[in-house]
Amino acid sequence: MNKEKLESLIIDYIDGNVNDADRSMIENEIAQNTEAKQLYDQLKEVTGLLNRAHYIEPSRSLQANFEKALRQEIALNEKNSVKERKPAYAKTSAGRQVFISSWVLRIAAVLVIAIVGVVIADRINEKREHKKELAAIKNELDNNKKMMMDLLQNQHSASQRLQGATVAYEMNHADDDIIYALINTMNEDANSNVRLTALEALGKFYQQNQVRSALIKSLSTQKDPVVQIALIRMLVKLKEKEVVNQLEKITRDNSVIKAVKDEAHWGILKLS
Amino acid sequence: MNISPLTTDEQIMEAVKNGELQQASVLFARYHKRIFNFLRQYLNDTMLAEDLTQNVFLRLIKYRGSYREGHRFQSWIYQMARNVFADHYQANKNQSFVDVEKMSNHFADTTEHDDEREALLQRSLTKLSDEQRELLVLTRFQQMKYEEVAEIMNTTVANIKVKVHRAIGKLREVYFELEKN
Repeated sequence: MNKEKLESLIIDYIDGNVNDADRSMIENEIAQNTEAKQLYDQLKEVTGLLNRAHYIEPSRSLQANFEKALRQEIALNEKNSVKERKPAYAKTSAGRQVFISSWVLRIAAVLVIAIVGVVIADRINEKREHKKELAAIKNELDNNKKMMMDLLQNQHSASQRLQGATVAYEMNHADDDIIYALINTMNEDANSNVRLTALEALGKFYQQNQVRSALIKSLSTQKDPVVQIALIRMLVKLKEKEVVNQLEKITRDNSVIKAVKDEAHWGILKLS
Repeated sequence: MNISPLTTDEQIMEAVKNGELQQASVLFARYHKRIFNFLRQYLNDTMLAEDLTQNVFLRLIKYRGSYREGHRFQSWIYQMARNVFADHYQANKNQSFVDVEKMSNHFADTTEHDDEREALLQRSLTKLSDEQRELLVLTRFQQMKYEEVAEIMNTTVANIKVKVHRAIGKLREVYFELEKN
C-alpha cells in the first residue's frame, strides 16, 4: 500500500469513518509496521490539535453596525415602496383626460375615483393605527428608560446599578440622557463591575459622537486597571488612532500597573 | 417579531427576500459568530475578520433578491463570505492572504502565554496553500461535513474528501519538519 493511501486510511480510522474490516487491517498495520505507527502518532497529534480550535466572540460593534445598516435599509425600502405606489395616482389623473368622451369611460372613471377614495380612507385609517402603535412603543420605551435610569442611580445597591447598565446594554437606541448617565457611571461608579458594564454599553453606541469623545477622554482619567484595560482594548478594536499619544503617556506613567502598560504597548503596536 | 425557534434559516431568508427585512437580525444572531470565526481562523487577523464579517451581512441585506428559494442558506452565506474575502484579496493584490508579519507578532504572543504546540500548528497552517487552509478551517475548526463543504465549493464530496486528507497529510509533514528546527 502506498503512503498516501495508508495516510488516508489512518485519517479515516482516527475520525472513526472505517468499517470493521479496514479497522482491523489498520490496527494490524500500526502494530507491526513502525513507519505506520509513526504516521498514526503524528496524524493523531495534528488532527487532535485541529479539533481543539475554539470560537472567540467578535466585538460588540459588529452587532451595532449591523443593526444600524439594517435600519437604514429598512428606511430606504419603505421610501422606495412609497415611490412605487405613486404611478397609481398618476393613472387616475390621466383618466380625467378621457372623462367626457364616452359614457363607458365616465362610469369607469367614477369607479376608479370610488376605489381611490376607499384606498385613501383605508390608508388614513392605517396611518392612524400606525400612529397609535408608535405612541404605544414610545410609551414602552419611556418606561424602560425610566426603569433603567432608576436602577443605574440606585446608590444603595451595586447589583441594581449593574442590572441598570445591563438593561442599557440590551437597548437598541440610547438618547442623550441615557448616554450621559452611562458616561457618568463609567467614570464615577464605586463598583468596578458596574463601571465595566457601563463601558460595554457605551461601546455599543460608539457611533454617537459624544460617546466617542467620552471614551477617549476617560482613557486619561480612568484609574481602575480593569476598566483601563477594557477601554484600551475597545478603542484599539475601534481603530481609534488618535489615542496613540495617550497610550504612550500611560506607558510612561509610574503610577500605572504593568498589565495596563502592557496593554497600552500592545495598543500602540496595533494602531501605528 | 414573532419567530418560532424552529423556523428554518431558509424560511427566514425567504421572508427577508420578500421584504420582511427585520428578520435579517435573526440570521445575524444565528450566523455572525460562525462567519466571523471562519474568517478569523482563515485569515488569522481578528480586526480584518470583523470588517469582512460586516461586509458579508451587508451583502446579505443588499443582495437579498439573489437568494434562490430552496437553496441551503448556510451554503449561500458561506459562499458570500468566500466572495467577500476574494474581493478583499483582489483589492489588495500585493499582499499575501495571510499577513506573515502580523502572524509572527501574533505567535510571539501566543508562545509566551499559550500552548507552544498550538502556535506551531498555526505556523504550519500558513505554509499550506490557501485552498488547503480553507478546507481545514471548514472541516476541522468549523466542523462541517464533507457534503456541506462540497456544496459551498460547488464540487463533489469525494473530491473534498481527497483534498482534505491531502491537506492533513501536508500539515503533518510541515508540522513535524518545523518541530525539528
